[in-house]
Amino acid sequence: MTSELTQKLKNRNGKNAILIVENLKKTYPSGEPALKGVSLEVYEEEFVALIGLSGAGKSTLLRCINRLVEPDSGKVYLDGVELTSLDKKRLREARRNMGMIFQEFNLVERLTVLQNILTGRLGYIGFWRSLFRKFPRKDIERAVELADLVGMKPYIYKRADKLSGGQRQRVGIARALIQEPKFLLVDEPTSSLDPAIGHDVMDEFHKTAKTLGVPVLVSIHDVNLALEYADRIIAMRNGEKIFEGDAKGVTREKLSEIYQYEI
Amino acid sequence: MVESYKLMKKKKTLYTTLILVVFFAVLIWSVYGVLIRDTNWSKIGSAKEVWEAVTRFFPPEWAYTLKLAKPTLDTFLIAVLGTFIALILSVPVAWFAARNFTPFFPVTYPLGRLVMTISRSVHEIVWALIFVAAVGLGPFAGIIALSMRSIGFTSKLTAEQIENIDYRPIEAIRAVGGNPMQVFFYATIPQVLPQFIGTAIFQWDINIRRATIIGIVGGGGLGLVFSQKMAAYQYAQATACLLAILLLVLVGEYTSTRLRTLIQ
Repeated sequence: MTSELTQKLKNRNGKNAILIVENLKKTYPSGEPALKGVSLEVYEEEFVALIGLSGAGKSTLLRCINRLVEPDSGKVYLDGVELTSLDKKRLREARRNMGMIFQEFNLVERLTVLQNILTGRLGYIGFWRSLFRKFPRKDIERAVELADLVGMKPYIYKRADKLSGGQRQRVGIARALIQEPKFLLVDEPTSSLDPAIGHDVMDEFHKTAKTLGVPVLVSIHDVNLALEYADRIIAMRNGEKIFEGDAKGVTREKLSEIYQYEI
Repeated sequence: MVESYKLMKKKKTLYTTLILVVFFAVLIWSVYGVLIRDTNWSKIGSAKEVWEAVTRFFPPEWAYTLKLAKPTLDTFLIAVLGTFIALILSVPVAWFAARNFTPFFPVTYPLGRLVMTISRSVHEIVWALIFVAAVGLGPFAGIIALSMRSIGFTSKLTAEQIENIDYRPIEAIRAVGGNPMQVFFYATIPQVLPQFIGTAIFQWDINIRRATIIGIVGGGGLGLVFSQKMAAYQYAQATACLLAILLLVLVGEYTSTRLRTLIQ
């Protein structure tokens, strides 16, 4: 652990940084750099919103953190463990500590709600058990509890392809929570939903994250939603972090500067 | 505007006329070539003789139908086994021939495609003749011939399904820390399996028909009995065979349709 890192771990109102990203860079094979050296921290129990226009690199940043997309350079520390240098097996172990919620829910369409939630435990399940879909009893009990928590208990035996968008995202949230994550990556959780439903989902998700005390990094292009729920805002433009600050201190002037047009 | 419209219409009429002329020219040519010139008209008997030849097939020898239980079952089993073997073999072929999953594109992809093309472009009768020559008359040759003929179709549809796979669940299973096998069983298989089962049932239905045909060239089952009866001029028994074939095909088609609606 570098001294710089330990410094950061102590940081900010007595809360430790759970996630530390240092100078993360990524250029896709097509040429245009998607991340030009982004650094950020997310502290315990913190709800951080990542805002910016589409194409700003929000999605790439999130995917570089859990290495669904391999970053070209830079470091990512999750609870003190550096992720970019891990081998495949250790990376899988590290991913168990990090839940991800997706814009388009990414459920397995032909599995039931309960089975979809249980897939969040796959990182802990051996090959044969997972082949026969034989999850431990306590996992199943927990899955039902979480289904209840996100309001999906009546539908646990329904197939994912029979659900509405809002219901799907609730399942996606439960799947991430059953990992008992130390940290949640959330990629545009509401932009595939009707605004009203999106607002409800966001509201419940925010409450749940706060109750469980899980720190969250959520990319969101709807600025109003971001300002309503986030403790802190990080803004990106063209693969760079251009602003970082408490949500309370974000003014209209600041936003129009971030978005380069009047809001 | 009007001028160009008229011109366009004139052009269109010209094309239509040209196509019709070519079509009828080819039609007349083929009637002359293969019907008028190549038929030995002197050998075709009178209408009475033709009628007699046809009536020799009727009525079918009903008592004989009981003896057909065994060959009917054989044909059925040839179709089942031929399809089953084809399905197993089509898994690696589909894997190789799916652009996005093929292990080593420059080699395995063309290889997969080649197997598909060969399987599909060689007729089942030709496959049967090859395997009858290789392993002798009987169901074994029929089974292998059928599976060779079926691999192409099942693996082609499966490969297409794999190519159209939705990557989002794959991403999700990777994100929770799933290993490649778990990604395969939880995200890939559920997307491919229903279609694969549908293809399997459809192929089995087709293979019942093929099994009777390849029997005629030595592949065993009903087709073999039929060709033997024809060769021995036992037309009433041959008709009994045809009835058994008809029944078997109908049962297969009905079952296949029912099963496929069930899995949807």
